[in-house]
Amino acid sequence: MKLVRFMDAAYQGKTPGRKLKTGERNLIFNLEDLADQIGEKPSRAEVQSLVPRDKNQLELLISDQPGKKHALLWGYITSLAAECATAPLILPFRDYAGLELSLGTIILQDTAGHSGSHAESQAASHVGERMTGGKIVVQGRAGDYLGQEMEGGGVIASGCRDYAFRNMRGGYGVVRGDAGKFAGLGNCCGRIAVLGSCKERAGWLMSGGSLHVRGDCGEYLGILMSGGRITVKGKAGRRAGWRMKGGSIKAASYGPESAEDLLELG
Amino acid sequence: MPDPRKKIQHLVSALEELRLHVGRKDVAIGIQKVNAMLYFSLANACLRGRCVLLYGGIGANKTTLVNLLASSFLSMDLEEAEDLMVTGHPEQTEEKIVGFLDPRQWTAASAAAESTQVLWTKWAKSNWKLINEINRFPSGKQNLFLEILQKRKISYAGQVYLPGDTCYFATMNPELSATYPMDEALLDRISACVPAAQPDFLAGLLLSERERELSDLARMLPRLTPQEFSSLPEKVAEKTLDSQVELSILSLIRDFTLCERAPAFDKTQLSGSKPSLGLCSGCHYHNNPEAICWQIDEGLSDRVRQDLRIFCRAFAYLLDREADLEVLKAIAPYIIWHRVTSLRSILDRPPYYGVGKLAHVAMLVEKSINRTMNERSEMNMIFSRAVDGETDITQAIEALSTFDDPVSRLDFIPALEQLR
Repeated sequence: MKLVRFMDAAYQGKTPGRKLKTGERNLIFNLEDLADQIGEKPSRAEVQSLVPRDKNQLELLISDQPGKKHALLWGYITSLAAECATAPLILPFRDYAGLELSLGTIILQDTAGHSGSHAESQAASHVGERMTGGKIVVQGRAGDYLGQEMEGGGVIASGCRDYAFRNMRGGYGVVRGDAGKFAGLGNCCGRIAVLGSCKERAGWLMSGGSLHVRGDCGEYLGILMSGGRITVKGKAGRRAGWRMKGGSIKAASYGPESAEDLLELG
Repeated sequence: MPDPRKKIQHLVSALEELRLHVGRKDVAIGIQKVNAMLYFSLANACLRGRCVLLYGGIGANKTTLVNLLASSFLSMDLEEAEDLMVTGHPEQTEEKIVGFLDPRQWTAASAAAESTQVLWTKWAKSNWKLINEINRFPSGKQNLFLEILQKRKISYAGQVYLPGDTCYFATMNPELSATYPMDEALLDRISACVPAAQPDFLAGLLLSERERELSDLARMLPRLTPQEFSSLPEKVAEKTLDSQVELSILSLIRDFTLCERAPAFDKTQLSGSKPSLGLCSGCHYHNNPEAICWQIDEGLSDRVRQDLRIFCRAFAYLLDREADLEVLKAIAPYIIWHRVTSLRSILDRPPYYGVGKLAHVAMLVEKSINRTMNERSEMNMIFSRAVDGETDITQAIEALSTFDDPVSRLDFIPALEQLR
């Protein structure tokens, strides 16, 4: 049979269809390629539209050195990779790991074997920022802004520097060691547990959620807080509950100049 | 002789009325909805030399259904039909399955006989063979079935038995502690694999109305005469496939098989490297949702083409309709999904959650057929005119090179270059 007749019979005189969609696009081999297409500060949706959820390509991009310039991009890529991985994703300490993570598990390890003050300088900042789900385990001390603006999921770290769980809206955060200044600043719904001590101004501007500290807290604990619950097993520092409008603070002992009606305001 | 289709339709109704099989109608063919497990089994009973695998958890009516159909199609009691199956367990031996040497041949009276006498089992001699719990056979024993399905003959102790036109059925449980991995070559020889689900709420309610013994109820099923049973393959062959179906089957096979990086663009030749192991990284089609090649590890063999054609016809016969694209779209996933491996990174994501392989393959099938019938019409016409000599081959190659499609680039253009 003539092939044309066969095709005519198959298409039954239909007009030619539209052309096939092309798969051609600029290939992305590293973060520089990605930044060329969407800039250095894109949204997660922009990254997701360009980066396929293919394990090999994601691994390729994760292995790239982001530096300060492409830290945000790298952070988004780690979240995409964790979300499609079946096993926990193990990463080195780097800023923005697990940025806007929604699913899966990320473990941050000191793959270079740093210790002491060098390890401190390696501490990754902005880990788990704006995450909505999943879990991040930091096997070491995290830097600043750990779990900042997180809405769900959980972060577990051995320790952290300042501004941990700032503006937290949900989820949970556990610091197994000491936290820096301003822990739980502006927390409105999340649950924070610090197994060591907190420095000054923990729970500042808190409006909801809870902050539990097993050790001591620095001065100005719960300053200007309007809701939520702060429990300190150890000592609260000077001026605890200063100008607080609501919520509750409970501590084993309070420092000088603490709010007089501190115990049960809420 | 009246058309046996009416009797088969009575059988379908009787199975439901007697509460012998009340599965969900999970396959939509146009406006008709049918139960996949029942209709694939019926289709297989209308064909010869094909094998249908019913895959599902324990108590999903897989074995009973096949035995009930055997009772009806071969016109025998259920107890007799149950003798026509072998059940998998690690101690099953070839002797128990196919036959054993006749010990009488060594007695003085018959010692003169030159050829070895083998006593073939009922299973070996039957033209309705059920391999129950096939994945409880160890790999070595599975090879026995591979040989039977491949050569359509049974050999033992140098003797060969030709069972003739036979309907093969198999059942399989999901991976449990007592099961063994299925041989890929054996899976390729299984024409269709159908999931068998547990009865749903309503089905459970209906089943609770069944009071009488299964064997008593089986006697009430309509039975086909031997003439009617043997006429079924001819009735199926009378159904013709339209050109749309033929073209879609050809394109479907090529969509799954073509790979730009494989030897001769043929994914079935891959060993070691495959899409899930990074073969496609950086490829032109990689991550293009329109392309199928990178989403599946294996290519499809020509057996798939044969199975798609024959099962299209069988379903068209059973449902008394044309063997058209609606039939192909409905049945093709069941014929393909057990032969291929979907890319894990796709399968693990919603809406598949790591377990929706059949749904993923159904999506790919739908995509391929829709492309063939719509976007590919122009390039197919250009190619066919060039092959028939109606247009200049060089111009056709030039025109085809503007189509970003694996079939055009890897099949059509090389073919025309050879014609030039």
